[in-house]
Amino acid sequence: MKRDADIVETLIQGAGRRAEPPEDAYRQVFLAAHASFREKVQGRRRAWMLWGAAAATFLLSIAVVLRWAPPGVQPGGLATVARVVGEAEVDTGSGWQPLTAPHTRLPAGARLRTQAAGRMALTLAGGESLRVAGQTRLMLDAPGRLYVQAGTIYVDSGERPAAARIEVVTPAGTARDVGTQFELQVDGAALRLRVREGLVMLDRGGRSLTGRAGEQLSVDGLGGVARTSIGPADPAWQWAESIAPMPDMDGKPASTLIAWVARETGRRLRYESPIVEQRATAVILHGDIRHLAPLEALEAMLATTDLEFELRGDTMEVRSRTDEAR
Amino acid sequence: MAELVHLDRALARRILGGDEAAFRDLFDRFFPRLYRFALARVPRDPDAARDIVQQTFCKAIERLDTYRGEAALYTWFCQICRNVVADHYRHNSRSGSRVVLLEDQPDARAILESFAAPEADEPEAGAMREQVHRLVEATLDALPGRYGEALELKYIDGLSVREIAGRLALGEKATESLLTRARESFREAIAGIF
Repeated sequence: MKRDADIVETLIQGAGRRAEPPEDAYRQVFLAAHASFREKVQGRRRAWMLWGAAAATFLLSIAVVLRWAPPGVQPGGLATVARVVGEAEVDTGSGWQPLTAPHTRLPAGARLRTQAAGRMALTLAGGESLRVAGQTRLMLDAPGRLYVQAGTIYVDSGERPAAARIEVVTPAGTARDVGTQFELQVDGAALRLRVREGLVMLDRGGRSLTGRAGEQLSVDGLGGVARTSIGPADPAWQWAESIAPMPDMDGKPASTLIAWVARETGRRLRYESPIVEQRATAVILHGDIRHLAPLEALEAMLATTDLEFELRGDTMEVRSRTDEAR
Repeated sequence: MAELVHLDRALARRILGGDEAAFRDLFDRFFPRLYRFALARVPRDPDAARDIVQQTFCKAIERLDTYRGEAALYTWFCQICRNVVADHYRHNSRSGSRVVLLEDQPDARAILESFAAPEADEPEAGAMREQVHRLVEATLDALPGRYGEALELKYIDGLSVREIAGRLALGEKATESLLTRARESFREAIAGIF
């Protein structure tokens, strides 16, 4: 036998490099382990919340005994409910409850689910809009981070700096936006990413993919990627538009509504002339249109003015009904 | 070892706190090692090895809050993996006898010595070589931290200390020290078996 000093070299060189496991085994085990990890973290958070609730009840009882009236506390949250259509439920640690009331604040660890015909829109703490399609299950994990177990979501993160990213973790990969509008659908180990505006980074099994505006990436369970194109005004985005939480437009200029509808429907905005644009800024809107879809709301509001709009492919053109305003 | 366990406990805490990067770090470091660990115990059955590793990860994560740092985290995972392998054989008792690993054989030293001999001198050496190969893999996998990687870079890739330092993002002195400790740990592990 060789000298002890050489045995390390002899054995390692003789054995050769350690064999790497197959890629598909990595992916399958990762998905299962990741699901266990999320479940574990979620379970611990629920347990902490129950303890927290018990502790809070105890402290409240003491306060009542001491006849001390605490000031009204507005608890912080990761998101606020903006709109709910159909059946949607929330679990903040005490079981599933119907979610109906707008303005409900949702804490970290809140789990959400929608039935087939259910949809909801949330406003995240950073101001981003999150839309949830039917048959979707997700959890608000931390500021700027969601965990989507299954289903379809749409994120509109506006034009924020790249540092304030939204991270969407799924069993099939993690998506990070860079100031954008995108949709993510999770179905087991498969994933579909549609980017309407901006850029989305997708990390999956150690690989990083980039989705650009107008691209649809379909990633199958074995990691195969197919890229196709999807326009910003494609009918596929309509479900997200239909649940868009409209800002209060009462007392605002028509130009504000027009710009919002153009962005929501993925269209470039064009005014017939600078005079028409000035006119849109001067017209002040009155009324409640919050329960209408973006294009319906615009149609309803402009019907009371001398302005009108026309959709031409990916462009929304606003013009005057009368010759004087041109 | 105490430092390693301290780091492992911190890693477990981060994972339990929901740290995605910590989970991925653990998975990427442990998966290949556990897969080889399992495959050695269910040879020529990669599907079974994959399922065993999957169950190991799921069980280990489920019980992670019971990890107290009495041993390195990888050793703790290996113990769970052994139990899953035992379950596998219990449920598949007709599919064959359980594998006896080299480290359990009485003539292990002779086998190890045969590994260094020319192939022509040892007509029966093929199977033994395969076992030694697996044993070296298992020993490298069981070494703490990045010892196994450093030894492979040194003895298989033939890199210099400076090149290894570059690969591991360490200083040259730290790399020399790491290689010394890695060689020592490897020798001790092999001596423990034989």
